[in-house]
Amino acid sequence: MFHRDTPAEAEFRTAVRTWLEANLPVALRGRVLRPPPAELMPWYRTLSRKGWIAPHWPKQYGGMGATLNEQIIMTEELARAGAPPLPVQGLNHIGPILMEFGTDAQKARHLPPIIEGTVIWAQGYSEPGAGSDLASLATRATLNGDHFVVQGHKIWTTWAHHSDWIYALVRTDPQAQPRHAGISFLLIDLHSPGIKVRPITTIANDDEFAEVFFDSVIVPAENLVGKLNDGWRIANALLGHERLGTSNPQFSLAALDSIKTMAQATGMIADPGFQERLAAASIDVMALSAMFSHAVELTNNAKSLGPEASVIKIFGSELLQSLNELLLEASGGHGSAARPVATNFGAIDVAGSFFQSRRVTIYGGSSEIQRNVLARRVLNLPN
Amino acid sequence: MDLHLTQEQALLRSSAAKFIEAAGPKVARGFREQDLGFAPARLRQAGELGWLGILVSESAGGSGLGLTELALVLEQAGRGLACEPIGLAAIAAAALAQGDTPHPMLKRVMTGEALVVPALQERAYGDDPQAPRTQAVARGGAARLTGQKVFVCAEGADGFLVSAASDDGPVLCYVARDATGVTLSFTATVDGRKLATVSLADTPADLVSPHPSSRNAVDALHNMALLGLAAELLGVMERAQQMTLDYLRLRKQFGKLIGSFQALQHQAVNIYLRVEATRSLLYQIAAHNDAYRIDAAMAVAAKAKASEAALAVTEACIQLHGAIGFTDEHDIGLYLKRAMLLSSLFGNAAAQRRRYVAVAGLTGAA
Repeated sequence: MFHRDTPAEAEFRTAVRTWLEANLPVALRGRVLRPPPAELMPWYRTLSRKGWIAPHWPKQYGGMGATLNEQIIMTEELARAGAPPLPVQGLNHIGPILMEFGTDAQKARHLPPIIEGTVIWAQGYSEPGAGSDLASLATRATLNGDHFVVQGHKIWTTWAHHSDWIYALVRTDPQAQPRHAGISFLLIDLHSPGIKVRPITTIANDDEFAEVFFDSVIVPAENLVGKLNDGWRIANALLGHERLGTSNPQFSLAALDSIKTMAQATGMIADPGFQERLAAASIDVMALSAMFSHAVELTNNAKSLGPEASVIKIFGSELLQSLNELLLEASGGHGSAARPVATNFGAIDVAGSFFQSRRVTIYGGSSEIQRNVLARRVLNLPN
Repeated sequence: MDLHLTQEQALLRSSAAKFIEAAGPKVARGFREQDLGFAPARLRQAGELGWLGILVSESAGGSGLGLTELALVLEQAGRGLACEPIGLAAIAAAALAQGDTPHPMLKRVMTGEALVVPALQERAYGDDPQAPRTQAVARGGAARLTGQKVFVCAEGADGFLVSAASDDGPVLCYVARDATGVTLSFTATVDGRKLATVSLADTPADLVSPHPSSRNAVDALHNMALLGLAAELLGVMERAQQMTLDYLRLRKQFGKLIGSFQALQHQAVNIYLRVEATRSLLYQIAAHNDAYRIDAAMAVAAKAKASEAALAVTEACIQLHGAIGFTDEHDIGLYLKRAMLLSSLFGNAAAQRRRYVAVAGLTGAA
């Protein structure tokens, strides 16, 4: 809305758009829920062969080395084409973490399969007793000569049942104070003996989540990332990597389109009260676009984007949620339909989209935790 | 998030901040008792600094700057609760300068010797700025106007820019305050200022010709006014936020600083979210629009967001101050009152949302 492509960027955008039109399988378009690996990974590998799977990765690691604007163009065009969400733990999390903190051997072993789409990664942070209070995590890793022995239980682990590897935060010093000083960052082969993975069905009726049980799992010491007991810093250093990506207003703009289509179909669009709520939502989407462009502008001009950028995460995720509440409202009597609702402009998966939006204010640090962080680190309010 | 500014823009902002420092709540409080609610000398100073001609092209004697610069100055004016109508004068100057030959009043408006303000509103709710009910009978470059304008910031004004319907669509006219058939009646605002109802009865007026890039002169002025008010509202809420954060870091209850309580921290973050969203929206719009042709949906969105946010923020600031915030003696109330004034001018948040429905075509009609 506020960004204008340079001629070179416009050319890139056209190239991406044309290629996606020709190559994105029709069956994968407009899917609200992440398709299973058998359907999704061939598409991942198609993007990989095109050289477009990792726009934000440097060329030396097989990425595109794209500018921030080009990355945004990719995100926008993928969203525009209705491309399904890819597994991002490798591309957005462990990949960049290894580039920054990994040994040469770790990089050589783990980065190429992420690019090629031959290995899927999961993130092992949350535990049954350690959600928002992540630093209280209890999964133990005991160093025993050349290996760790891991004992514990991770949960809310996206795609763990489809994954080959997990990067996990584990407790290596139970006595450490503060507690986060006793946590290490470990790469664990999910095919190791002693690991059990159980999928969890969500209220969206998908099995995005799983829980992972570790029973005396042997992990080679060389799978430690960074120094022993330095895992907390490593995990947090990369939190910013995804912040701008997930707050791309494209998703809110798409939700706005669905709302209008649905309100046309049900006739609610003629209700003045609804129109005013739709106007308020549209104005907030414009504000999100502005915040996003503002952040991109600062990043492009080498101004550091500090913790205040998490304001976009809160604003964007809460907006996406309220847009889906409006979508549910616009659908009227279709509001409990388990399947996509047919309209003159295509089917809209009202419930699926609504359920998806319920998780965005929970994962990656709930909105409440984000507010705590902003209050202390940005507003400098006392402890 | 801070703004990405050029060196010149950063300089402009700091010189505006310096100018405004001399204003502030104490000065604003003093004007509450006065017949004229601002200092004409300060308006002339703003003129000397080039701010009243900020949007006027250099060939017409102005500074030839854009909406970002206007917003930077007005944001500071809002922070300092400046009582001088810098924003209204600056956009009136831009409007007077838009034709091939600038209106004779332009020079005096740019120097602050004369004050001209927009008179566009006709109803408390439901105005379509493109369809005024005030009638213009045009003859050559002149016209005669009959109608009524409301909520006009007429204090100290020497003339008005009035929108009216003519055979050729909406037109903008300059009306001198002392012209035949002009009657004013004032009502007091909570802010200690006055708004006027301006009645026009077969009043002689000059037609203001539109800028070649504009849709028409009324549209150009109206959208500039919305953006200018949004900028001032941003400043008002920023300063109120700052005062409130200071208070949360200072006030103790239960043996602790109240800013350490999560319930209050989350309210403070909600304030921050509103301020940040408004700032990004305002400055992105300012950067991507020409003063004489601001996208209508964007102008409306900026005013809607700023009006709603400034009220919510200043209300929350009073709450976070507790009982002291409810006293006249404490300055925080002045920010709420200024927010009430500015958010109601040219259409409040609800009125803007209604207009957004129309300009963005959200009615479902094909």
